[in-house]
This record gives sequence, C-alpha cells and structure tokens, in this order.
Amino acid sequence: MSELVDAKGLACPEPVILTKKALDAHDEVTVLVDNTTALENVKRLASVSGCAVDVTEGSGGIFRIDIKKGQGSKSACDASPEWTHPLGAPHALPGPTILVIASGVMGHGNDELGALLMKAFIHTAVDLEHRPDMMIFYNTGVKLAAHTSGVVDDLKALEEKGVRILVCGTCVNFFDLAGKIGAGTVSNMYEIAGALSTAGRIVKP
Amino acid sequence: MREDKTYWVALFDSVSHVIKAEKILKEANIPYKIVPVPKSISSDCGVCVRFLPEQKETIVEALRSHVHVSEMHELLRQADSNGPTP
Repeated sequence: MSELVDAKGLACPEPVILTKKALDAHDEVTVLVDNTTALENVKRLASVSGCAVDVTEGSGGIFRIDIKKGQGSKSACDASPEWTHPLGAPHALPGPTILVIASGVMGHGNDELGALLMKAFIHTAVDLEHRPDMMIFYNTGVKLAAHTSGVVDDLKALEEKGVRILVCGTCVNFFDLAGKIGAGTVSNMYEIAGALSTAGRIVKP
Repeated sequence: MREDKTYWVALFDSVSHVIKAEKILKEANIPYKIVPVPKSISSDCGVCVRFLPEQKETIVEALRSHVHVSEMHELLRQADSNGPTP
C-alpha cells in the first residue's frame, strides 16, 4: 500500500518535508499537490533520492505523484545525492564543492566595484580547472541569474559543464524576478540547506 | 551559430573608467560583457569590456567624449571558451 501525503494548499517547503518524512517510513508514497512549484520540488527530491517517479495530472490542477523506492536506492530513500568528482578536484572533506553567491557584489566596501568584480568572477569560473559541483544563489545574488544580469551566458555555460545551479525561490519572489530567471533551477530552502549541509567545501567570493 | 570568429576588448585607464563605460553602454542598450583582461594582453588584475566585432563602431561612438579608451584588441575566440555573447 502506498502512503498518501496530501500536500494540497501547502506552501514551500512543506510538501517536500512531508514527502521526505513519508519516504523515511514507507517504500511507496503518493503525494498530492496543487501547484507546479511543489510538483517540481517533490519530483526533484524523489529523483535525487534514487526513487522512481510517476506523475498523473488530475482535474482542477491537482497532480498525483507516485514515488517508489528503486532497487538501487538505500533502505531509507536518502535525500542526500551522491557526489562524484570527475575533475578530481582537491577536497578537504568528501562532499561537493559549493560556490555560494550570497550577494550581487564581490567583497565589501564599494558596491559598484563589487558588482564589476562579481561579473568578472563568474565569467572566470567557467574555465576554472576545478569548477564547483554546485552554485547556490541567494539574497541579491539571485539577480545575477536574471536574464538581464550580463552573466546568464556564463551560468548557462557552467550548467552545460555539469555545474548544478540553485536559485533561492524566496529571493526570486522578493525581488519580483519570477519568470525572469535565465539560468539555474529555482529552488527552496529545504534543498539549499540540504546541499550546504553535505558540502565538502564552501567557496564564497 | 554566429559566424564571427573574434571578439574585441576595450581597455581603460582605471577601474572607475570601466564602471563609467559600463553605465553608458547599459543605458544605451548596447550588448557588452565585463570580463577580466585576457592574460595574453596583460598580467594586471584588471577588468575590461568585451563585445562583438559588429558593435565596435557603436561602442566607440557611444564612449567618445565620455570616457577614454586606452586600448582596443581583437581576440580570437577560443573554441572552448564560453559563449559567443558580446
């Protein structure tokens, strides 16, 4: 029997948290959500956990997500993705290298200079020998992922090279940038905090 | 795919001139990109403005009498370097 999680009407990140809890206790979980953000977030949780996912769109904008633990997945569907280091980058600890872009500027003091430096930094990151595994953008940092930032092409190039880019959804909302994000995946605090907590190295320019 | 095989960079006397040039280009809606000064040109820790060959005249015109461009260089685009955008 599949465990039913009714996450209709719940705000981010509740649907993801409820799904995670259900997966810790059951092999099969069915989640009901009523918006595409929750749908994508729950799907992502399931797929990074190595589970099989099947989505059925019902009437009235309700999505039914059937999640089944795969044979390869761990006894408890593990929310922490497994990381590999194809480039053999040096790591102080096992775990991904995460580049945290917490603001639109690099350094403190002069923001005009800082904005210039940040653009040059992100451009340079594309060709770094040891690229990060993941980049996380939050607070004014999310503005760099907007279409008009001047570095979206660099971020796309980074994604093409396998760098995962997470953009804080709360921040996108705050700066009224919904629909204006040109690179990366708009994500939630659950995923961002989860990723940061598994990092081997955190690099913050 | 673009056919261009090169792009141009404009260098300035100081970082504040780069900031001034960026403001002008942004307001004029001219495509450009801020990049570090390529190592082949200088080992200084500087930034410059990169653009596509077809923007050269527009950019020279837009900056004329506002900010002094110290050097312009045409560079071959590296096959593996990121992107054809300005």
